Amino acid sequence: MWNPHTEWQAMSLMRKAALIALVVIAVSLPFWVGPYWTRIATGIAMWAGLALSWNVICGYAGYISFGHVAFFGIGAYSTAILMQPGYDWNFFATLPVGAAIAGGLAAVIGWPVLKLRGAYFAIGTWALGEAIREFATVVPITGGSYGLSLPPNTSSIFFYFTMLIAAALAYIICFVLLERSRFGYRVKAVRDSEIAARMQGINADRVKIEAFVLSAVIPAILGGINAYWITFINPESVLNTLLTDQMVVMVLLGGLGHIWGPALGAGLLYFLSQEFAAQFGDTTWYLVFIGILVMLVVLFLPDGLVSLSPNTRRQRILYHLFGRTHKKQRDSKNVAAAKESIDERP
Amino acid sequence: MEMLIQTLVTGVLIGGLYVAVSIGFTLSFGVLDVIDLAVGMWVVSGAYLAIVLQQLYGLEPLVILPIAFVFFGLVGWLLGPLIYRVRTSNYALPTLMALAFTFGTQLVLRGGYLATFGYTPMTVKTNLFSGVWHFMGISVPVVRVAGFGFALLLTVLLLVFLYFTKPGLAIRAMAQNKESAGLMGVNVKRMSTFVYALYVGMTGMAGVLMGSVYSTNPIVGLRYTLLAFFVVVLAGLGSVLGVLVAGLILGVLQALVTVYLGANYTLMTVFLVLFAVLLLLPNGLARRAT
Repeated sequence: MWNPHTEWQAMSLMRKAALIALVVIAVSLPFWVGPYWTRIATGIAMWAGLALSWNVICGYAGYISFGHVAFFGIGAYSTAILMQPGYDWNFFATLPVGAAIAGGLAAVIGWPVLKLRGAYFAIGTWALGEAIREFATVVPITGGSYGLSLPPNTSSIFFYFTMLIAAALAYIICFVLLERSRFGYRVKAVRDSEIAARMQGINADRVKIEAFVLSAVIPAILGGINAYWITFINPESVLNTLLTDQMVVMVLLGGLGHIWGPALGAGLLYFLSQEFAAQFGDTTWYLVFIGILVMLVVLFLPDGLVSLSPNTRRQRILYHLFGRTHKKQRDSKNVAAAKESIDERP
Repeated sequence: MEMLIQTLVTGVLIGGLYVAVSIGFTLSFGVLDVIDLAVGMWVVSGAYLAIVLQQLYGLEPLVILPIAFVFFGLVGWLLGPLIYRVRTSNYALPTLMALAFTFGTQLVLRGGYLATFGYTPMTVKTNLFSGVWHFMGISVPVVRVAGFGFALLLTVLLLVFLYFTKPGLAIRAMAQNKESAGLMGVNVKRMSTFVYALYVGMTGMAGVLMGSVYSTNPIVGLRYTLLAFFVVVLAGLGSVLGVLVAGLILGVLQALVTVYLGANYTLMTVFLVLFAVLLLLPNGLARRAT
């Protein structure tokens, strides 16, 4: 079992300081910056969570999902529908409902599709996203293409903290499950070699479905919060394929399969997208921009921005290839470390 | 009854176009081992090329077809090596990265067209094939018949190329096993680039036809990708004959859904059928092990 105390003791002083600084800044932020930056920070928290969820299925389980927006939309619509006059649910009570629907759907979809090669899953989820959007457009309960309004709540601090807590919880849960538990080892083993993982007695189908459900629940909860935040949703705003596109770019930019990659990518790209909108207005050239970004990252920086930081897999391999040879002992240590880590992700 | 026959005829005519789109797609999938997520955007690209050329020079779609083939063949020839490079790289997850790469090209194309042409649907006009044929109570627009005819011609030409020429033999060998094909003297990298160029060129041509039958906007590209993928899955990966049958099935299915349920339900139905196919026949109609 994971123990926060040992985790804390094992951290270097630098990391402890960075973590404390991050927490202090995150908690105090809305009290010393204006509403504009609070809104940006809320957006970054949401996108960090969304990118994280996409990273779970793509970076950790090795299946690329192009329909992740479906789960976001399901969460948003569940909250919106249950908060309509007539149902009048409490906001926090609606979030688990959306999460349960999204998780159940992910299990049902994943069961046949995750047994097949990744390309099937990619297009299957893409078709799911489109199908859900069509569904939301034609079914009366969602308000069709017109959409739904929610009871307004203008407290930006409320949304900042709700979003922050949800994203932070998602992060802690994913960190513990994927980096500090047997489940994480199983998921990565299945990704790296499914046959070898099965030989070790891992139920690969089940592990993949579990990972997919985990990655579907997070966007559903964030979608619910988002719906209450923007107070008016329609298929164009919460089921737009642009949402999936952004998740993909954020994760690839930050670092695929790395726990902190999505947060880094989300912070950077969300900031860039706001700047882009401020510079050029709300144009579709943005799609061209993120498309080129994806292509460049895939071609030249496949492990994302986190691979630029010192002491990562890429750097260790580079050292192994081009490192100095006269310091034999240190070198052989590094070679061993590099060999060990070649099969790992950064 | 007449309505049913009318629907079936319409469906078959559209199905021919889907066959033309999917056959290059399945070929490039078999050889490069990458699903090109931009396939629908290449269709849309072909349509937009035709629209632009028509506005500038007033050309007939028939004349635009070879231009589209050469133009998009060149585009594919430039893009192919990049995809090949990503696919054969020693990244941690090369297949996934290659998918992400084509996703990027798809985004660039979609964003570019949205910014240039907007959401307004546009159509390629034709004077040569205008009018409607009436035949035993069924009415068929001539342009659909012509589109079907050209799509069929394209398909037959490709099949002849694949099964009766030496490069075709090399491509089929590569689809089965790249390493062995390389040992037999096939230049795998060059042939992969060639196949990708051929596929993009063919899809661009099919796009010209698609653009004269249906109106085009950048959003439908996504739809075409999903439909092409549906055809390939239903056919069974790498099966050319399966594509012929599956394309026609999709056309008929789409026509039936549009007439009896409404156009809004197309993708939902397609998705449900896709789901059922993956569940019951994961190897598709051709039943070849993948």
